[in-house]
Amino acid sequence: MNIRLLGIVKRFGSTVAVDHATVEVGDGELFTLLGPSGCGKTTLLRLIAGFYSPPDEGEIHFGDRRVEALPPYQRNIGMVFQNYALWPHMTVRGNITYGLRLRKLTADEIERRLADGLRQVNLVGLDDRYPGQLSGGQQQRVALARALVLNPDILLLDEPLSNLDAKIRVHVRGEIRKLQKELGITTIYVTHDQEEALSLSDRVAVMRDGKILQVAPPKTLYERPVNRFVADFVGTNNFISGVCRERTAERTLVETPLGRLAGRPADTVEVGARCVLAVRPENLALGGDGENVVEGRVSLAAYLGNTLRYDVETAAGLVLKVDVRDPWNHDPLPAGHAVRLTCPASVALTLPDE
Amino acid sequence: MTTAGARTEVVARRGVHAARLAPALGYALIWLFLIVFLVYPLGRIFYDALTDESGRFTAAHFIGFVHDAFYLRSLANSLLLGLATVACTSVLGFAVAFLLVRYEFAGRNLFSYLTLIPIISPPLVGVLGFTFILGRAGTVNVLLMDWLDLVKPINFVYGIHGVLLVETLHLFPMIALNVVDALGKIDPSLEEAAESVGARGWRKLRTITLPLTTPGYVAGALLVFIWTFSDFATPLVLGVHDLLASQAYLNIVQFVDRRLFRMGIVISALMVVLALVFLLAARHYVAIKDYSSLSYSRISRRKLGPLGQAGAIGFLSAVMLLSFIPYLGVALASVGRGWSLTPFPVQYTLHSFERVIVETPKYIVNSLLYSGLAVAICILVGVPIAWLLGRTRVPGRDALDALNTLILAIPGTAIGIAYIRAFHVEVPGFDRALTSFWIIIPIVLAVRRLPYTVRGTYASLLLVHRSMEEAAASVGAPGLRAFRDITLPLIWRGVLVGSLFSFMTSLQEASAVLFLSLGGWETITVGIFSFYIAGSASEAAALGVILIVVASVSLIVINRIAGTRMGGMFG
Repeated sequence: MNIRLLGIVKRFGSTVAVDHATVEVGDGELFTLLGPSGCGKTTLLRLIAGFYSPPDEGEIHFGDRRVEALPPYQRNIGMVFQNYALWPHMTVRGNITYGLRLRKLTADEIERRLADGLRQVNLVGLDDRYPGQLSGGQQQRVALARALVLNPDILLLDEPLSNLDAKIRVHVRGEIRKLQKELGITTIYVTHDQEEALSLSDRVAVMRDGKILQVAPPKTLYERPVNRFVADFVGTNNFISGVCRERTAERTLVETPLGRLAGRPADTVEVGARCVLAVRPENLALGGDGENVVEGRVSLAAYLGNTLRYDVETAAGLVLKVDVRDPWNHDPLPAGHAVRLTCPASVALTLPDE
Repeated sequence: MTTAGARTEVVARRGVHAARLAPALGYALIWLFLIVFLVYPLGRIFYDALTDESGRFTAAHFIGFVHDAFYLRSLANSLLLGLATVACTSVLGFAVAFLLVRYEFAGRNLFSYLTLIPIISPPLVGVLGFTFILGRAGTVNVLLMDWLDLVKPINFVYGIHGVLLVETLHLFPMIALNVVDALGKIDPSLEEAAESVGARGWRKLRTITLPLTTPGYVAGALLVFIWTFSDFATPLVLGVHDLLASQAYLNIVQFVDRRLFRMGIVISALMVVLALVFLLAARHYVAIKDYSSLSYSRISRRKLGPLGQAGAIGFLSAVMLLSFIPYLGVALASVGRGWSLTPFPVQYTLHSFERVIVETPKYIVNSLLYSGLAVAICILVGVPIAWLLGRTRVPGRDALDALNTLILAIPGTAIGIAYIRAFHVEVPGFDRALTSFWIIIPIVLAVRRLPYTVRGTYASLLLVHRSMEEAAASVGAPGLRAFRDITLPLIWRGVLVGSLFSFMTSLQEASAVLFLSLGGWETITVGIFSFYIAGSASEAAALGVILIVVASVSLIVINRIAGTRMGGMFG
């Protein structure tokens, strides 16, 4: 079932938590709302769930059904909460079957759906435990099963992995993605973790201050962010401010404290306007020749296992992060060592200054 | 899916009106209750205090009060007594609380239970017990006169010092419990941090620990002050008349002189104003409405050496022994016959119990009936209020919160007088006033004890994360259904503890009920007061024993459910 949000506005007193959000989520898509805390992503999710019904402005459509005025229990959604919200006085069985019992299904049907649900999330045999007797990962899966046994039209996940250990998180992330694809259920996923968002989403919406800044598949989001905030929030970026001096179809020339640098052009930046060049650390090379050459000295080397990250301080005082992708065959340079950095114009994105 | 969707939509349209209308109606009823039974009566005494016989505005009554040296002295005495009681209970309460929370010694658990003892007996019973043991012809004086050949008995209790003694011993647990509660919630790392930057011993206590306990302490101190300030039964039994509350009572019950009657109303209006001032002052100092949650930190207790142990046990035993005097006195008096001029009764009989249980069971029956009804009203009104405060942003929420706190501060004397004035008009449809129906007693009890139910419920509601209810809504449970299946099972302990506390304190309520009680409606406390005033000390004592037993049972049940941590209840 597809979801259409049209001009959603939600205010709390004088603050605007969600500011004219318009977005369409396709049938069976895993759609992620990504942003820093306070950006309005959870509020938007709760508006879709119906916990703030109706929004101050705007329409919410599930398929051809208009739902913004309906309470949550009439929207046929399944939701997994950040703290799981398992009812501590009910067993796993009680938690999972509560919604089924409300729907007055037959005992056989309830048993069948419970068994299916437990199997889907690998919890067979734990029916009679209480939530307090389960590990965090198990609780998370009970919460997921509780949402799924109702065959909801839409699955809503509110930072479902934030309370799990790093290793388990990656594992459960994979499970959720697999299950979601199998069931083909339209899913909205809220997170502040950009890596999580990139790894499991079909498309991601980046939010700030209640506004949706960019909606794109992960690869586009990472490689073609539309503004400095998105470029900074998703992954790591070096920003070099300057003024755009020339613009052609292939490239821009930007006057910066590091000299005149060439970048990939953007429609949003005119000749003469202030702008920034965004270059990811993995796209800066140590040594070599090319269009953009910057001299500097190593100020810090951080060994991360799969990469070695240098902080290189330029004569102008700007510190650039540079990644060496294959530290196995690279001897770390000492602090103070003079280096030359290069990058092709195609990976230096010209973005409007904010 | 589409059929299910269409069906829910139809249900939705039909349900919307009922779903929106019912809560609104309930909310309106809660406000109606509070306006009719709290706001209106209080407004009425201010109207009376500020108008003359023909209904014109006048400040003459207050001017009359200010120009009367006797009333001014009563006011000063009341304020002094209140402050002195706060001072004494604070010293005692802090000492007891620190010993119980921070130190380990033999019998610590036993003592922490014993701290509750003074709360079991209402001051009215306590004062009786004291007079039996420490009165002019009480045990101690008789013994002293026998042994030391004293010509005149020592006056231990009659007079304002006696009132101070009785109130202090009755009320210090209010401070102790609140401080125990606050100490239990201090994260040990806060004090460890203080030590790490060099604050130790007294300095740490003064700069870190005490400030962290202030919110709980100030709330307790305010209650102690207002309790003492508005208690008239204790002073009257001890022959103290020049206090504000005593004067309010005496002026109102004489029913002869209209000017004096009016002055009683003026005094009670003044008491409400003063209580409000103190409430606002306390609230300005710390946020009283910052209801305590039920989460506690890990506490490490320091083990006391032999000398320290002896000191702690000695001190606590002395305090408990003093607190135990009234129980001994009441128990002896209830079974003693012809107890005068001997240290202990010479003959023992259950005759007084027979009289108050078998011959005239109305005291017990009425008390249980009225308190039971009061608690039912408390739950009916209080649980929704707690829910509104904890879960919604409904308009008027802050006012609801303020009213609920205000009730704690309003003297029972003032409420009693306000009810007499406000409900002495005929009820539409009946030829009689509300004051001539016994239902007014449960109502006044419910209003007085509402905050305990609200607070008990609210505190446990805070522990149930809102997402628990939202999860229920997300799987298809509408509001009331989610409340029944999810919220209620998770908060019932809090509701029960709050309600039992409301019940116990309703049984003990004397001041408001004494004004409103008519023939046939007598409760245990009314019985105690009238028996004692009429000179039948044994019957009064027997009723006192019964009251203590019922209160003990309630307290034991509360303790079983909630543990010893009831501090939040008084805050």
